[in-house]
Amino acid sequence: MKGKTWLFWGGLIAAAGGVLFQTSYDVQDLEEKLAGLNRKIVQEQESIQVLKAEWSYLNDPTKLEQMAQAYLTLKPTEPRQYLAMDVIPMRPADAVPPPALTPPGIAPLPPMVLAPGAGNSQLAAARAPAAPNNNAAAGIVPVSAPVGLAKPLPMEKALERAPVVVPASLPSSGGLADPSRANRIKPAALVPGSARAPAEKSAAPAAPAAGKLAPNAPTSRPTELAARPTPAPAPTPKVVAAAAPAAQQPAYQPKPTDSLGLLVARLGANR
Amino acid sequence: MNGHDHGGPAGYGQPGASTGSTYVPPPAPSPFPQPTPQPSAKPRTSLAVALEQSRYRLMVTAAVVTTVFTAISVKLAMATLLAGGGEPRPHVALEIGETTTNRADITDRNGNLLATSLVTQSLYADPKLVSRPEEAAQKLVSALPDLDYKDVLAKLSGDRRFVWLKRNLTPKQQAAVHRLGIPGVAFEQEERRFYPAGPLTAHIVGFTGIDNNGLAGMEQGFNKRLKEEPGTPLQLSIDLRLQHVLKKELTATVQEFSAIGAAGIVFDVRNGEVLAMVSLPDFDPQDPTGLNPETLFNRATLGVYEMGSTFKIFNSALAFDSGKIRVSDMFDAAHPVKIGRFTINDYHSLHRALTVAEVFQHSSNLGSVRMIQLIGVAAQKAFMTKMGFTRPTGLELPENGWPLVPNPWREINSYTISFGHGISVSPMHTVAAAASVINGGFFHKPTLLKRKAGDEIPTEQVVSRQTSDMMRRMFRFVVTEGTGKTAAVKGYLVGGKTGTADKQKGKHYEKNSRMSSFLGAFPMNDPRYIVYVLVDEPKGIARTGGFATGGTVGAPTVGRIIRQVGPLLNVPMLDENAPEILNSTYLNAAGSTNWQQSLPPVTAPPPSKGSTVASFPTQTKPR
Repeated sequence: MKGKTWLFWGGLIAAAGGVLFQTSYDVQDLEEKLAGLNRKIVQEQESIQVLKAEWSYLNDPTKLEQMAQAYLTLKPTEPRQYLAMDVIPMRPADAVPPPALTPPGIAPLPPMVLAPGAGNSQLAAARAPAAPNNNAAAGIVPVSAPVGLAKPLPMEKALERAPVVVPASLPSSGGLADPSRANRIKPAALVPGSARAPAEKSAAPAAPAAGKLAPNAPTSRPTELAARPTPAPAPTPKVVAAAAPAAQQPAYQPKPTDSLGLLVARLGANR
Repeated sequence: MNGHDHGGPAGYGQPGASTGSTYVPPPAPSPFPQPTPQPSAKPRTSLAVALEQSRYRLMVTAAVVTTVFTAISVKLAMATLLAGGGEPRPHVALEIGETTTNRADITDRNGNLLATSLVTQSLYADPKLVSRPEEAAQKLVSALPDLDYKDVLAKLSGDRRFVWLKRNLTPKQQAAVHRLGIPGVAFEQEERRFYPAGPLTAHIVGFTGIDNNGLAGMEQGFNKRLKEEPGTPLQLSIDLRLQHVLKKELTATVQEFSAIGAAGIVFDVRNGEVLAMVSLPDFDPQDPTGLNPETLFNRATLGVYEMGSTFKIFNSALAFDSGKIRVSDMFDAAHPVKIGRFTINDYHSLHRALTVAEVFQHSSNLGSVRMIQLIGVAAQKAFMTKMGFTRPTGLELPENGWPLVPNPWREINSYTISFGHGISVSPMHTVAAAASVINGGFFHKPTLLKRKAGDEIPTEQVVSRQTSDMMRRMFRFVVTEGTGKTAAVKGYLVGGKTGTADKQKGKHYEKNSRMSSFLGAFPMNDPRYIVYVLVDEPKGIARTGGFATGGTVGAPTVGRIIRQVGPLLNVPMLDENAPEILNSTYLNAAGSTNWQQSLPPVTAPPPSKGSTVASFPTQTKPR
């Protein structure tokens, strides 16, 4: 009986000791982990600080303006471009033509929607207004949309059936209206105009029809790569391939991405 | 045996818990057997004494042991049960919002960083631990080419225990030095102040020294606050975009007119916030000492200048506020005013009497002097004091200029002050006072800190609403038909006042060095912002016909600035000829505010010769 009691207590003590031992090591482990995490947090905070500083540095309006002047055709906004909401007159009720009167060929869509792909259409729409000749009535005829647009379509359907504007000078238009083709143009092709300049030349022999787009050539915008129809589907990937390296090597060489180094170098220490 | 057993312990009294270890064996059997077991008998001497002694000893030992054990258990209880003294501090996770730096960021009103602290590594050495200085120096110079070998060697072979070798290494440099593995050379984490906006806000933000103490600008003015609350950034009222526009246009003007400097301020008249403030030439806050120390001078707040004709704003406001003069009153501007040895004259005199509106429109010195003659010196002094021209502006910058005020304030002073000479104030003074003149009469202390949305704005009514209303019309009149036509921006209802002051060098006014300024405000039907430009010593160019006055230098600059700044400030465009706008801004040369009467332009046509350049330098000939 006495031996059993001893056994019981002894076992209990040993078990408690074991658990304590284990716990203590666990705690040590956790503490090390915590310290590591804390160090990491500090490090992250420091690099966040560096990134914030770099963001502000790169966002310096002086620099932005220089870049904008060099690479964009955008100009500072002028007061005349702003209108107060109440200055715009309400549309008179009788000026709205009933929808039935809309000519069947002209769908009630913005004329800029040239690339009907889901993702690209927005890009194209955003860029296209800068190209002045896209909507010029002279060389462009709207390819007739499928008849029967009388009833309103859901937006995606409408985009699919949107009339594709094709320059009249192009010989064929049959395969061009295929909207799926436009999807192949990657957004990588939409690089700044100046950066894309060499690609334009390399693409020209591949797509001889592009040469006929005389009015497009001088003021060509990147979106025209997306918008311009090419005669055969084969050259399209080439154009993309040619444009992609151009996108990687724009005329403007960004500085090395050693962000902290860049900043600290700017600090001008140890002068 | 039993008898001994019984008798022995009986003499010990209570055997306590503590006596267990000090058990004294019962006395050995006595050689003399006890004849009778009589306890009450006379104690046997040796045994009794021994028993007595050992009892005392036991008692003392027990007491000592008890005390010690009690102390130990109390201490033990305290250490374990009560709040743990010896317990290691529990490890806690860092708070996420906490900053790692010791100095708060400074941001503009939109949260763009203007100053921040970055953690960098600095290289130091303990020369005692460097075993071979030559070799170490050689290695260090190869890794950090911008170090000088001799310099490093001298540092490494010195007998100090700590020398800086290079502060603020880049991570690449740090890795390179680390790879060398030189004993005695180590890194120390340091903070370095970094200014992402660079020179753009240099005069506002200021800069810090190597020990991160502010030495200029807000860094100095708020040094304590920045150190005490490193977690919360200090938000200024500055808008970086406006700052950029202001600086760009000022730089262009300085270049065009070959000026030696310029100052510009964009000011919110409704709450006294300074939205942009530029002083040219400026400096790089990263390296403020390397440049010409003159670039550190803040012309917008520290520099005090004779403002010239812009002071006619305050002269006119004083005239209206005194109640003695109305806008249609006529004043002689044909005959020079002589006082003592001075003669005050108009450069482009119109040789006739002018209304107050025309005095303002053509910036006539004579008219201004006649007006102050009517009002008196005391009233002028009181008014100028109320406008804040006799003390620093109270801006948060340490660079805050004291105005130069005449003492005593005599009649001749009052004459010259009426057209802006003889009193020198900083551009910030002028802007803050002008804001109070056109915003309904409320003087707001200018501030560089962003006001919180619900905060009460401390204010003081300095001129009446009627005065302020009339001054708005006068401002507008100068831009529609006066000296400031070039500042007009369609849709923004710009108003303003030109100023051209001859610079005083020693005791004389220089003929060809002047300060040209323009104080513009918009929209004048309900003024919101003041744009002020001051150009130091512009030279006349061919385009302006050789003139470099406030109307040819300052006004076009302000026009360009407003054109770009208006959309950013979200100021709505207005139709300048709409009846309700004309109702609130119209004024003609005769001093009438009724625009309907004068629809057919019957207002006194300004003589062509002085219309655009009438703010030509005021002449205070000290002959």
